[in-house]
Amino acid sequence: MSRGRLGRYSLWQFRDFVIDRAIAILIIGVLWGYVLIAPLRTAMGPRLALNPSSPAWPLVIMVASSIVSLSVLIALNGIVSNDRKTGYYRFLFSKPVSAVLYYAQLFLVHMVGVVAAMLVLSAILHTIVPDFRIVNFLLYSALIYIAMGGIGFFLSVATRYDWLTLAAVWLGSYVLRDAYGAKPGLPGKLVQLLPPVHRLTDVANGMISYGSATVSDVVWLLGYGVVFFALGLLLLRQGSLAD
Amino acid sequence: MPSAADFNRASSLVIEFRNVGKTYRSLLGNSVKAVEEFSLQVIEGEILGIAGPNGAGKTTLIAMMLGYLRPTTGTVEINGLPARTYVERNGIGYLSELIAIHPKWRAETALVRYATLAGIPNAEIPRRVNEVIDRLGLAEHRDKKVKALSKGNLQRLGLAQALLRDEQILVLDEPTHGLDPVWTQRFRDIVADLRRPDRTILIASHNLDELQRLADRVAIIDHGRLQRLVSTGYEQSAPAVTRFRLTLAAGYDRIRESFPHAEDAGRGEYDVTVRSIQELNTALTDLISRGALVASVVPERSVLEQQFREAVGESQ
Repeated sequence: MSRGRLGRYSLWQFRDFVIDRAIAILIIGVLWGYVLIAPLRTAMGPRLALNPSSPAWPLVIMVASSIVSLSVLIALNGIVSNDRKTGYYRFLFSKPVSAVLYYAQLFLVHMVGVVAAMLVLSAILHTIVPDFRIVNFLLYSALIYIAMGGIGFFLSVATRYDWLTLAAVWLGSYVLRDAYGAKPGLPGKLVQLLPPVHRLTDVANGMISYGSATVSDVVWLLGYGVVFFALGLLLLRQGSLAD
Repeated sequence: MPSAADFNRASSLVIEFRNVGKTYRSLLGNSVKAVEEFSLQVIEGEILGIAGPNGAGKTTLIAMMLGYLRPTTGTVEINGLPARTYVERNGIGYLSELIAIHPKWRAETALVRYATLAGIPNAEIPRRVNEVIDRLGLAEHRDKKVKALSKGNLQRLGLAQALLRDEQILVLDEPTHGLDPVWTQRFRDIVADLRRPDRTILIASHNLDELQRLADRVAIIDHGRLQRLVSTGYEQSAPAVTRFRLTLAAGYDRIRESFPHAEDAGRGEYDVTVRSIQELNTALTDLISRGALVASVVPERSVLEQQFREAVGESQ
């Protein structure tokens, strides 16, 4: 019963995503891509004859992967915390609806939305860089959504300042792993608990360029995201909706 | 209206607060007790009022009843289920004190969304939405964005979403806040229409006159504790001494023969003090038999107001 009505409500959730977030993702994605790709087009002409072995190919990977990370940040911003900050939860959850199922569905709807937005952006990029593989890019987008989004979801349940803490955790993990990852002793061991962001460059390059990546890296990233997503749902179940 | 015996019937118990307490703790270790040792039973068919000064704990109690907050101690059960479980399975018609609806949604769209979540079948949604729009006088505002609605219209929209489904339990937190006098009166009519033997209604309000008119009993809360539980009917809880204002249309000179201590308030109005409703009626019968015409008899304070002043005063 609850799933049936929630299923129907997913269309409203998707509509909200398109209006509130997808347009922003597309505008930022196009502008960010243009700023970074335009100099290459000036130098090499309108259709870039780039392939994974080209010296400039890492720039394409960098543009594509940074757009995905930014999109996930936009998609997850306030996914749970916003309803609590504004008080929207009061009318939503006086209806016969499970908050856990509602937000789990919203997480999936946003994932579909992010992948759809990435489809549009990658189609544009594909017209400029013909060797850019759309399917590979979409698989990478889904992976990053789960890995980064799972953490973001948990932070949105746990704190009001989710986008800030997600950015801090994500970027902070880069910094801490860079500083302590190779060092012996406790600090070196503790940073291993942080999100495996140090594997992202290899994963991005492998998945977007060739459609494959080291299995352990993918499992690590996915597992991290899934565990935090599940923790977020558990916290939602056990905690209070109101502040 | 349920009788005193009804309130003792365990079989019709709908909502039960059992030794409920809620303490808010800050990260710095400071704590504030919002609710303490609160126990109350609400029966089927009852309209229960919740009154109390600002910060008394009314909204916290309602949040725990809807399962939005977990009690620090004690339990809240609805029909024998933990509050949140009941709400997730059955839903509750809820009007919150702060109406929080996405400002960009249109009034009608908001109702369609809530109806979808409430589980109303797609084919029935337009009819149900139109019904509540007509009932709450929102027809001319249905296409407006929520942010364009006045305070009163927003309040009516909030009430409309609470009435979308035929709920067994309704919780209305400050329902007439922001309504003009016409809609305040209409709201009372709507609540009167909603009264049903199988429906339980909770109304939290600062407006004691409103609770006196609508509720069967009123829980007076202060400092997070239940101070008194007052039945609003006169015959059940008439206070020992009550002042009334009598307005006479004729026979002014007869007033002191029936009410020896009546005080002249001018323009044919007199303040009288009686010890019981029986004493009031005996004296009034005597006054009328002496040729006086009584235009009105109004208590200086309602039973509820008197009890509220005493209860809140005692808890200070």
